[in-house]
Amino acid sequence: MNDLSQMLADVRRGMIPAYVYNDDEVFQLEKEHLFERSWIFVAHESEIPDPGDYVVRRVLEDSFIVARDEGGEVRVMFNMCLHRGMQICRAELGNASHFRCSYHGWSYRNDGRLVGLPFHQEAYGGEDGFSKNGQTLLPAPAMEIYNGLIFVNLDPNAQPLREFLGEFTYYLDFYISQSPEGAEVRGPQRWRVKSNWKIGAENAAGDSYHTPQTHRSVVEIGLFREPTGSKRKEGALYWCDKGGGTTYKLPPGSFRDRLRYVGYPDEMIDRIEATWSSAQKRLISDDGFMISAATLFPTLSFVHNWPKVDANTEDDKVVPFITMRVWQPISATETEVLSWFVVDKNATEEFKNASYKGYLMCFGSTGMFEQDDVENWVSITTLAGGSMAKRLLLNSRMGLRSTDKPVNEPLADFHGPGTAYVGYGEFNQRALLREWADCLERPLAEVEQVAMGAKVSKSSRSTKGGFGN
Amino acid sequence: MTIAKMDTTAMKPLPFSDPRHQEAHQFLVDETYLLDAQRYDEWLETLTDDVHYNVPVRVTTARSAGFDTSPGMAHFDEDKYSLSLRVARFATEHAWTEDPPSRLRHFITNVRTFSAHVEDELYAQSAVLLFRSRGDNREPNFLSALREDILRKEGGVLKLSRRLVIMDESVVRMQNLAIFL
Repeated sequence: MNDLSQMLADVRRGMIPAYVYNDDEVFQLEKEHLFERSWIFVAHESEIPDPGDYVVRRVLEDSFIVARDEGGEVRVMFNMCLHRGMQICRAELGNASHFRCSYHGWSYRNDGRLVGLPFHQEAYGGEDGFSKNGQTLLPAPAMEIYNGLIFVNLDPNAQPLREFLGEFTYYLDFYISQSPEGAEVRGPQRWRVKSNWKIGAENAAGDSYHTPQTHRSVVEIGLFREPTGSKRKEGALYWCDKGGGTTYKLPPGSFRDRLRYVGYPDEMIDRIEATWSSAQKRLISDDGFMISAATLFPTLSFVHNWPKVDANTEDDKVVPFITMRVWQPISATETEVLSWFVVDKNATEEFKNASYKGYLMCFGSTGMFEQDDVENWVSITTLAGGSMAKRLLLNSRMGLRSTDKPVNEPLADFHGPGTAYVGYGEFNQRALLREWADCLERPLAEVEQVAMGAKVSKSSRSTKGGFGN
Repeated sequence: MTIAKMDTTAMKPLPFSDPRHQEAHQFLVDETYLLDAQRYDEWLETLTDDVHYNVPVRVTTARSAGFDTSPGMAHFDEDKYSLSLRVARFATEHAWTEDPPSRLRHFITNVRTFSAHVEDELYAQSAVLLFRSRGDNREPNFLSALREDILRKEGGVLKLSRRLVIMDESVVRMQNLAIFL
């Protein structure tokens, strides 16, 4: 790594040292200063609808059980036995009332409470020697849910999730709240790409400029109604608090006309209309913009698009789909993608199936869009590891003149929160990397150790996060 | 819709000397040459018009769970239209992920066939190992899977009418699945 403060200064003015996409020291900084202190999406509530349902997810190297306990509450617990550190749950998903360690048989209820300790009396002298009452698997230091999205933060003193999300929730709701009951998800598909995690996050946040080139083939085969990808420059790019995204400009019409245009059936539009705020609806009805891709810093991205999904190309019938994905970093050069299909719970089965089909054709491990994206990202990451990449500052200043004055002024009459521009620009990629730069300069999170079963006085022991008594 | 896995435990495979088995085996081997060479237009012709091509997402679950594929999520869940679009895309000059093309080798083995008790149809099981190499110095990728096919005679020619691919990995270690299994 070159000098850190110089690197961050370069990033902040939109000149990106190419090596930040392949550098072990940078990745180490990201792990400690960013990922150990940021809100990271782990699961959607609809993945664990019933008591006992669980999925296992990771934040960096840490494995967590995300479970719904018998009382219906969501619990996120570090997947490590309190005794010798064995991984308690070795499946990816399932339903269980208890988790039993395969090493010595300690067992835990699905709310994390330690309930079984073989030979407790003989080995430890019972409760006197080792008090199992009140002991639980370590809960995630912080866990909060927004409209079904379950986030964890490894920093117990993290700012509250709602504060972190800020007004970006205005945009999140377009994807996950099309009715009061919200969304359900299918998946995830999981696959590993030899790409740095930031590239996908930046792309979804604001790269409408790549569509005409990278995704030319999907336009050529008629998967989309719009004849050319260059339509993208008519869309607005917005950045708001901790996230940003891209939109498409819609043809003239009312709110209902425009949702019909992207393929929503009337019965879904009725629920959408009753659910979204008037400010949210005006983005579509007054401004004429339909949300497309977005990223919530650091690693959660969304896509909304509307391809033709069946052979009936006579009419221009399109079906909208939504996908959500996490760019989970494995190393400086590898990312595991977890990609879910997202659909409103109340949609008809017919709509859900057609929308799912659209997702599979466009995004995910087999998606005709995503296939070409990843080819680019792998290539960038590979080249960014060499010595020449340490000399090259990539220009990420699109939309700005050399004086820092924007090519086009921000939209004055945009109904969404944050700042929006029409036309191509790397406003959002810069905003995302500025956020990244700020995180790398944060001090490390304080780490409190928890000594299991040790005799400690209550006053000297943190009860934050709910463990211990 | 995810295709249910075949229960072949009580079924007796056709003897290798059975002409129906030999015809099915030849079909599967011939197909690998089309897939390796990415002669996808010709491959499409070997599929029935009502083909269902399904590759569910594999998941790690407890032995007692009773399932080991993701409920409701696949990598591929295709009909002839969506397969045709994928093929048409590779034929454009702008499908970057396969231009330059991958070097592919589909190894097919462990072929068993079963009478489907439906006239003109056969069940075929096979193991496939795909080797995929891209670029000059990247690590190559492997993908191992079980295939369960229904082959149907149409106009005297054997065609693929249904394929279920059960991959042997939960997390795919390939940058994408811009290939067919």
